[in-house]
Amino acid sequence: MTHIKVTVKHVGKKHKREFRLGPHATIADLLKELGHNRETIVVRRNGKIVVEEECLADGDLIEILPIVTGG
Amino acid sequence: MLKCTFCGRRAAYNRRYAGVLLCDRCLIKSVEKRFRRAIAEHKLLLPGERVAVAVSGGKDSVAAMHLLVEYCRLKNCELVTITIDEGIKGYRDQSIGVARDNAKSLGIEHFVVSFKRIFGATLDQMARRARARKTELNPCTYCGVMRRSLLNQAARELEADKLVTAHNLDDEVQAIMLNYVRADFSRLHRLGPAYSPREGFVPRIKPLREIPEKEVALYALLRGLEVHLAVCPYVGGIHTEIRDFLNLLEANHPNSKFMILRMFDRLKPQLARIVPEFEMRRCKSCGEPTSAIICKSCELLKGLGLRRLRKTLISPKSS
Ligand SMILES: [Zn+2]
Ligand SMILES: [Zn+2]
Repeated sequence: MTHIKVTVKHVGKKHKREFRLGPHATIADLLKELGHNRETIVVRRNGKIVVEEECLADGDLIEILPIVTGG
Repeated sequence: MLKCTFCGRRAAYNRRYAGVLLCDRCLIKSVEKRFRRAIAEHKLLLPGERVAVAVSGGKDSVAAMHLLVEYCRLKNCELVTITIDEGIKGYRDQSIGVARDNAKSLGIEHFVVSFKRIFGATLDQMARRARARKTELNPCTYCGVMRRSLLNQAARELEADKLVTAHNLDDEVQAIMLNYVRADFSRLHRLGPAYSPREGFVPRIKPLREIPEKEVALYALLRGLEVHLAVCPYVGGIHTEIRDFLNLLEANHPNSKFMILRMFDRLKPQLARIVPEFEMRRCKSCGEPTSAIICKSCELLKGLGLRRLRKTLISPKSS
């Protein structure tokens, strides 16, 4: 089994990072690695808001949008 | 791809506490339904009432405004919008434009009341004064007390029957926990879907109280509403710690937030017996309702060496 490579971008920030994950890795796995709590963010996968249980595919663009703002 | 439990379209949200997946359309419908149900169940609004909604430009208040517009049209209610400009550089100055744009696009009257104009200082300036004078109070204390007081007064001047605030489930549960931690009975027993103490106060209602923060955010995003998504530069301290703790709890044990809310709602009637009654008076300094000789806002201002510049908030030109 080959690894998959995804690009992660935090909305509102400029830089992107690439991540290598095992096959069958889900968005939830990625969030865990990044230290994000799903309660505090919305995830867009290739432009679409999706559930964290979706499996990632090679070449995915994952955007992370923080929603907890306070005030 | 994972599918919506109800209609089979691609899921956009995993509502773990209920064990269902929701697509964009079903999530929007569900949020709208809960909003209407909260109003009906707690009789938050009556047909024909004049409603003021507090809008900062953030996701919660913008969502509340859009939800209210539809509701008010159906129930013949009049809607006005109030934004408090605390004067937070790089944060509130940006969100006010978002609030204004939304009000304009919906055709709702919009009023801005600023700390600077009423108190003679922005929150940024108050924070600097507080530090210089070593008052030991953080900016959130000044902001919270003064914003609440101005919102109430503005709603009263606008002759609103109800004042809507966009507190979501997360906000409410955080407030419950904070008051537990501080053992603050009187603040705790004021929480709930509606609070209408007595004369001088416009009843405050929270129709988003049973909608989790993430669902409100998704509602705004999936509907493509213009919202301001930034973090207030002053958030921190115990508020953040409680929020993070509750989010960790919810992630590991879905439904925790709702259980805390339900438990509180069941305890609440008992709390009324513990909390002492207080007499309502008028602040000697500004005339606003208070239980003390001078109100909390005026007391805080005094501690900063400031005083209120204006008694009346809404002038014909401030819209
Ligand atoms: Zn659906
Ligand atoms: Zn006063």
